[in-house]
Amino acid sequence: MSQPKIPVDLILSKLAEDAERVHARTHKAADILLEPLDTEIATTPYDVVYEEDRVKLKHYIPTTKSRLKTPLLVVYALINRETMLDLQPGKSVVQTFLNEGIDLYMIDWGYPTRKDKFLTIDDHVNGYMDNVVNYICKKHGIPKINLMGICMGGTFSVIYSALHPQKIKNLITTVTPTNFDTDKGLLHIWMKDIDADKITDTYGNIPADVMNFGFLLLNPARLMLDKYIGFFENMDNKAFIENFIRMEKWIFDSPDVPGETFRQFIKDCYQKNLLIQSKMEVGGNRVDLKKITIPVLNYYGKYDHLVPPEACERLTGAVGSKDTEDVCLDTGHIGIYVSSKCQKEFAPRVSKWLKKRDTVSRKPRKKKATTGKTAARKIAAKPRSSSRSTKKKT
Amino acid sequence: MGNDNQKDKGKPEDPMSAWMKTAGTFWEGMFQTWTQAMDGMTAPNAPKGDKTSQAKTSFDTAMKAFRNFSKVASGPDSMESLFKGAGAMPQILAKMAQTGLGGFLQFQQKWLERAGQLGKSTEAYKFEDLDENAFRAWAGIYETEFKRFFNIPQLGLTRFYQEKMNQAVDKFNIFQTTQAEFQRLLYLPITRSFGVLQEKLGEMTKDGDLPEDPKTYYQMWVKILEGHYMTLFQSPEYTHTLGQTMDAMSEFSHAKNEVIQDILGMFPIPTEKEIDELYKEIYLLKKRINALEKLGVKP
Repeated sequence: MSQPKIPVDLILSKLAEDAERVHARTHKAADILLEPLDTEIATTPYDVVYEEDRVKLKHYIPTTKSRLKTPLLVVYALINRETMLDLQPGKSVVQTFLNEGIDLYMIDWGYPTRKDKFLTIDDHVNGYMDNVVNYICKKHGIPKINLMGICMGGTFSVIYSALHPQKIKNLITTVTPTNFDTDKGLLHIWMKDIDADKITDTYGNIPADVMNFGFLLLNPARLMLDKYIGFFENMDNKAFIENFIRMEKWIFDSPDVPGETFRQFIKDCYQKNLLIQSKMEVGGNRVDLKKITIPVLNYYGKYDHLVPPEACERLTGAVGSKDTEDVCLDTGHIGIYVSSKCQKEFAPRVSKWLKKRDTVSRKPRKKKATTGKTAARKIAAKPRSSSRSTKKKT
Repeated sequence: MGNDNQKDKGKPEDPMSAWMKTAGTFWEGMFQTWTQAMDGMTAPNAPKGDKTSQAKTSFDTAMKAFRNFSKVASGPDSMESLFKGAGAMPQILAKMAQTGLGGFLQFQQKWLERAGQLGKSTEAYKFEDLDENAFRAWAGIYETEFKRFFNIPQLGLTRFYQEKMNQAVDKFNIFQTTQAEFQRLLYLPITRSFGVLQEKLGEMTKDGDLPEDPKTYYQMWVKILEGHYMTLFQSPEYTHTLGQTMDAMSEFSHAKNEVIQDILGMFPIPTEKEIDELYKEIYLLKKRINALEKLGVKP
């Protein structure tokens, strides 16, 4: 039996080739990094039509004739910024919505300062959100609008729809945590042991840098190491660098979170899991999910490590609606909005779903969880009681 | 007379009595000179409440009291009593010193006893496995022994400031300890992933299966590292340490802010606490106004 051979010669020659490539790449990268780069984000034109304290309401200038009677309000999370929906031309949920003829509004929560530390979930939902909805309704002369929430903004949208059902026509939740009693996502595990009172009392508002560090720790091998090795390997590619910088700009552009909102969110949601049980109280009123009887479209990512499917999928079974749909995409937390594949799938499908419900109301139906385009064809009406227990992702 | 003088000189109270008389004469002379000077300076129609005349009155009173005191004190009975006391002085001083020293030695002994326990505390841990237990051992020693020194009650006018400063130092030490433990945990997957990679490479070498592309080695390592981190992050030990570190950071931050508040209090600028109180008032007022507006009440 011959001795196994270590291909030292081949390894060394590969290393030599790599060294040459690195040299050439560095040379080219220097030129690219020194010349002007197009790294602007959120470039789609909009008007600020309403302002209250730090909160602004953006109204995007339509690119085509409106094809929906009901405008859509997008509510982003208080963590990171809504610019993620408009990262770059060609990869912009905002542009897709506009091209689909949706009259689009979006809340910009701004940057909370120390004076905002007393703001509670009630102030955000029954205060700012309600004022914004009233403004849009008044401007368009309509009683109801469509509402789409993202992540924590989705949780706010669910609460809002339960407390003000008369003002919402259709609800879309995307990567929205509503069931917090799961050990699938690291945040759900970690938040159980966090002393929210101590942190809030100490910091007032929760510093964005502390939270960002926490998010990086969710996968340090990829987010703190491999990602930047990828950058060095592609730094002779201008388009790659521009996209990379755009993402860096977005990811580290993090406002602090108002302290009292953080306190209630961690204690009532992550630690007591009150929302999905319809036991949470906001502004002295119980958030009864059964009061949500409007159509609900619930999107989430199969590989979402922040808000895992288990945190999202119970919503459609808990609301009082008969027209609900779960869509699980093969992607992560932000892949739904920024990946090229999901760009073609997510926004056009939302638009289609809204258009169907923008006219005369259809016969209510309950749909099984689906994954992407192929699964969409599998939608079948199911009795409400059985859909909860048999719901599976395919 | 001459004999009497010699006899008088032998009495210990004489020099004291003579000194008091001389001092009395000196201060009276000074007072008279000063009074004349003051009279010259004071305006003829100066009101009764004039500060110069007030000072003169109080000095006059003080001089009268001194005269009376020296008269009584220089009497033979007083002098005898005084020097009897002086004879007992070395004894009194020795007793005071003895008591003070005894107390100090007792206090020092307590400290030494406590310091002696430092070694005892470490017995509970195994230092052989240094990377595993060193942080915990130090945390334990600190909690049971060192921390007490920062909790010794402070005395006097500045006791509250000293207490806050001690708390800040104490919380900083605890934060440093928990942070070191947390960093150790974060570093574990790196060391272990290298170990696993080496084992894997050993197997691949045996099978003659080693990749030619150096990038493959990196990709293998990152994948192993990611797996180790995922396992670590879901462990109760990590969650517990993370919670502890966050708590320690918050407590240190709070204690540090307390000290800063005191320092800020010395400057003519508002403290964070005062600003927060103001913000809260504004917040509550705005809520009330919004509620009234919704009810249709116009301001």
